[in-house]
Formats: sequence, C-alpha cells, structure tokens
Amino acid sequence: MEKVKCECGHENPYGTYLCESCGKPLKEEEGKLANMRYEGTARRSQTYRKNVVDKIWNFFSSVKVGIWIIIILLIASSLGTVFPQEMYIPPAADPSVYYYQEYGTLGQLYYQLGFHNLYGSWWYILILAALGISLVIASLDRVVPLYRALRKQRVTRHSKFLERQRLYAVSEETYADPVQKLDEAAEALKKKRYNVRRENGHLLAEKNRFARWGPYVNHVGLIIFLIGGMLRFFPEMYVDESVWVREGETEIVQGTDGEYYIHNNEFIVEYYDDERDDQFQEALENQQDPVVETYETQATLLKPEAGGTIGSETDLEKIKDHDIRVNDPLTYDGYSLYQVDYKLNEFSKFTFALELDDEEIAGTEFTVDLNDPAMSYDLADGYTVEIMEYFPNFEMDENNEPTTINRVPDNPRIIFEVFPPDLDPDDPDTTGEISFLGVQLNEALTEDNEYAIRLTDADLVDVTGLTVRRDRTLPFLIAGGAIFMIGLIQGSYWHHRRIWAQHSNGKIIVAGHANKNWYALKKDFQYAHEQAGLPYPDDQAELNEEEGGSSENGSTKQ
Amino acid sequence: MKNRRFMMRLSILAVMIAAVGYTLYINFSEERGLVDAGDEAPNFAVKNLTDDEIELADYRGDGVYINFWATYCTYCRDKMGYLQDHYEDYEEEGVKVLHVNVDETTLQVERHKERFGYDFDMYIDRGMLVSNEYGVHSLPAAYLIDENGEVIERHVGAQTEQQVLSSLDRLIPGS
Repeated sequence: MEKVKCECGHENPYGTYLCESCGKPLKEEEGKLANMRYEGTARRSQTYRKNVVDKIWNFFSSVKVGIWIIIILLIASSLGTVFPQEMYIPPAADPSVYYYQEYGTLGQLYYQLGFHNLYGSWWYILILAALGISLVIASLDRVVPLYRALRKQRVTRHSKFLERQRLYAVSEETYADPVQKLDEAAEALKKKRYNVRRENGHLLAEKNRFARWGPYVNHVGLIIFLIGGMLRFFPEMYVDESVWVREGETEIVQGTDGEYYIHNNEFIVEYYDDERDDQFQEALENQQDPVVETYETQATLLKPEAGGTIGSETDLEKIKDHDIRVNDPLTYDGYSLYQVDYKLNEFSKFTFALELDDEEIAGTEFTVDLNDPAMSYDLADGYTVEIMEYFPNFEMDENNEPTTINRVPDNPRIIFEVFPPDLDPDDPDTTGEISFLGVQLNEALTEDNEYAIRLTDADLVDVTGLTVRRDRTLPFLIAGGAIFMIGLIQGSYWHHRRIWAQHSNGKIIVAGHANKNWYALKKDFQYAHEQAGLPYPDDQAELNEEEGGSSENGSTKQ
Repeated sequence: MKNRRFMMRLSILAVMIAAVGYTLYINFSEERGLVDAGDEAPNFAVKNLTDDEIELADYRGDGVYINFWATYCTYCRDKMGYLQDHYEDYEEEGVKVLHVNVDETTLQVERHKERFGYDFDMYIDRGMLVSNEYGVHSLPAAYLIDENGEVIERHVGAQTEQQVLSSLDRLIPGS
C-alpha cells in the first residue's frame, strides 16, 4: 500500500493520522482535538487486511479480543473450582461414578464436560496460548509504530498539530526577539529536568518518555511468565511425582528415570499431648482425634551402580541420609523429596497358631510375611500348614471368584490347608483341612474340621508418602514476575510530558501533551510562565466541556 | 516492504504456533511409553519362581514377546490362556514369550500358575524396576522385541487370540 507524503516531506505509512515528523493531521478528524493515541500512528493491523496471515494477526492484535480471552479464561478457571479436580478426589474412587455419587446430576455433567480435569485440558491450554499470542501481537503492533513515532518526532511541529493539542495558547504580546524568550524557557524547563531540543529557535521539552514503554515491559514479563508455565509440561524442566515407601523397604524414585532409589529406614509420627498445658490446649481439646505434631521419614537416597542391568540384582550405592520432614526435603541433583503423607499401621506380618479343641498345640506358632508369604510352613511335631491361596486385598470379582484388588495387604485373606503328622502333604491325593482366614474371620471350608488356625498377632508397618519435585521453571516465573512489576511501576509512577514552544511572526505558540497527569504538566507550564513569561495555556478539553462539546479526544492512552 | 511485513508476521505466528503445538504434543503424547516401537529394548534381569535368573540379552537372535501381568488383572488371564495354547509352536520358530509379573508375592504367582495350569516359566519383577524402566502403567502390557533387540510394537490392554497370534507371527526371526 502506498505511503502518505506530508507537506513537510516525510513519508508516513498508510493509515497514519498525524505526520510522524511534524504532526500535521493527515486525516480529517472529528472534534477539535487531535487523537494522540499511539502518537497518531497507523495501527498496522487496522490498515492491512490482505491475506490469512494478516487476518489472524489483526484478530489477535485487537485489545477487545484480548479482553474477551481474559474474561473467558477467568470464567473457565472459576468453573474448575466448583467441584474438586480429579487429582483431589480419593485415590481409590472411580471418577466416572464419584462425581455423580457426591454431587448428583450436576456432578455427572461436570465430569462429562471434562471439567474434572480442567486445567490440563487441551482447550484450557489453548485459551492460555491464545492469551500469550494476543499479548505478543497486540504489543508488537503498538510498540513498533509508537517507538518509530517518538524517535522520529521533530522539534518543529505543524501549526495545526499545536492547535489541536489539549493545552494550547498563543501569546497576546508580540516579541521583538521571541527566540531569546524561548532560550529562557529552555533554561527554566531544564531545571525541571526536561530534555530540551531546539531547532530554528523552536523548542521541544520532553520528560519521562520511558514511562511509555511501561505497558510493553509489563507484557514482556507476562510472556516470560507464561513461557515458564509452558515449560512445566516438559519433564526436563518440571517433575511432580509421588512415591510410597514402607519402613525398611527401598523404592525407585518416580520421575528420575530409575536414576535414584529411596530407602525408608524409619517413619516417625508424634502427636500433641492432650495433657500438656500450653497455648494449644483449648484447640487440642476440641479435636476428637489426636493432632499430629510432627512426622518424619529417616531416609537414605541410593543410586544404582553404573553399568548394571536393571532388575533383580541391581546393586545400590548410598548417596546420602536425610530426615525428611514437612518443609525440610531431601534435595539432591535438582530433585527434592518432600514429606506429604503417610499411612500408619499397614499389615505386614500375621502370626498364627494351630489349635486342637480350642487348645493351642505347643510349638505350632508361625508367622506369615504378608509381602512375601511362604508356600508352606513346617511346624513342630510333624504338622504342616500350606497356603493354598493368598489375596493381599481381597474382593469377590464379577464372576464371584475370590481375587485381589491390588498388591497392597490392606485386607489380607489366606486359604490354609492343614496337614496333621499322619498326612503327607507331598502326596497329591491327600487333602488336609481347609480354612479361610482374615482379620476377624475364620471360616472352615472343609466339613468337620478338627484343627483351627487362630490369628494370634499382627505386625504393622508405617508407610511414608513422599512427593518428588524438580522445578527448573522457577527462575522464569521469578524473572517474569519481576519484569512485570518493573513495567507496572515504570508505567504508573512516571508520566510522559511534552511541551512545544514555537515562534511565529514574533508571537509565541505553546502546546503541551501528557499521556496522563495533566495537572503536573499544567504546573510545569505555570513554572515556565513565571520564570520565562511563556503564555499559560488553556485546557481545551475543559473549554469544550463548558461549551457542551465532547472531550473524548482530550484524554489519551499509552 | 509488503513482503517483508508478511514474512515477519508469518514467522512470528509460526514460532508461537509451533511452541504451543509442541507443548500440546508433549502433554498429550503420554500414550507413547517410555520404551516404545523403534527404541532399543533396555536389557534387564529377572528371576523365575525357583530363583533362576535370565537376562533379556540371552535371547538376542530370537523374537521376544514380553508380557507384563498381575494375578488381579482379568484381561491378563485371557491373554495368558492364548499364549499357553500356542507358545510351544512359536518357540520352535524362534519366538520366546517372557511372562513378567509386576512384583506380587512368589506364593501368589505360584498358586496362580497352578490354578490356571500354565506350564511356562514365570518371572517376577522385584521392586517393579523393569516395569518402571519400560513405563508400564496399565496391564496387560506387551512389548514385542525383534531378533536385533529393537522394540517393534508396544501394546496395552486386552487382545483377542487372533491379535496375539499375529503379534507372535511378526516376531518370527527373518519374517
């Protein structure tokens, strides 16, 4: 598209309102005042509508579109808080029925619409991405022309430009040497820390131009923040996993690709003492259950020896010991293991004894390790007990057959077969007495059982719940946040002010523009008036208002 | 000038769309396992019920069908039924089926084997080390490894007898 040439000789991009160089209005505008928004530069997106790329660009360049994206994002984010997200419902619950059971039809709808996993859904990520794209394009589309206009602005401005400024005045007096008057004004304004430029005796005093970049610096911060958030999708940058370790056991640390193992030496939990007389006494008495004071895992971090084969014979090297407490993680190689949860009293061993006529047979006690039971137990006096079936977490499946839900011994059930000394357990034709045992359960599966197996003792073990974290995105989030604040301060606490003073036929013409805080600019004019006798300008926006006219163009943004 | 503007806009849009696209791809490509088709199968060692150890590397030159399973997984039972019926035929053609249990107790595996009458060897992945390395999340999970030690297919979930057999056919060395 062709350029627009101003009478001062400067070539302006198509769509420019005010000549970039001299400020002459290039288009007829309504109202008395010039539209100073973006210095009257062409917002490119509004002028070129050629091809698909331009159309996409224009769409995202629009502030209106940006605000709609933010509104949609706000509504979507708040929808996700109506019912708990999937990761916060009980781990054993099936989400497809849980939401209906807990929250009724609304809950069902919530689940079906996919709101139970809202923040990780593709459409939510797309809205976030749209916000990022909108930020980049809208900023670029404005900052580039604005920068050009401010860099190219000439001292000498077109009389029409000056006339259409909100603050504008022409001196009543005619001076013999108006340039000397302007020299004095320049000195006065320098004292007010204005940057003063001169051209043919004309004057342009400018202050705090950098404040105009505030919004864009702010957007750069936001974009870095969003990039930081985006990087969280990459396992290299962000790991958030959990691992459960029984006391005395070693588990692979999830999320480390098998690089590290964690051993739970001991898990300790301490409760507040009800009897202790201290400041929490009253609060503690109101609680029915004991209140946890502290819990910790005495842990050892291990690493497989280099070059080994994965599997049963992995040799582990000790790296370090650490007592993991809440907010005191074990940290190594960028990974941190935090204490987040625990499970007390998981069954680990059951001790049984054989009874005949309700009398324990001496020496027939045996202990079954629920995490590694033996096939059979040879007891005193030639008694043998075989385990026929073992279900760590018993349930009846849909075919009404006994099975286990998983491998955690939460509801252990054992089917025992008892062989008295006169029966040979190795003979496939003999069958002993069969009984089915569990917690508070002892059922004979064969008729007229002579012997009974009694559960005499249970060993319990504590399990610690740890979270594995690695977060390399934090520097991005901190930098983004800091830049965001810098931009905000830059744009909020300083205001770009400009004063033009020109001479024409012995008269002095002054005009002023501020992108906000006109009051301060007027004070500066007042100062120049007192020190150098510059005319004090009228506020044309206020005059307009008095005349009942519109003052819309008077206040400009950015 | 016009062209420059177009190229500029196009490249900025392209970079942003590529970044978003890649992020979405990473986020929603968990379908791909840690170890998947095209990868070299990591070597591992597991023990059977009588404590004899085997290594995956021992079967270099054979096709290997690794079946990760558990006693509480009902689809695994169907699948292992099909494998029970056919494994010997394929062994003659150079295809080895490895049944790797995900760290249940030896007793359970032994009893399960008796209950369903399997006569093949069963291996137990103690500490789930191998399952973790291979990225096994749901059962049954099958990994097809060719005679050169490369994974040619990963399959999660139930399979029909026909599907199991066609997988085994793919593994015959030289096929």
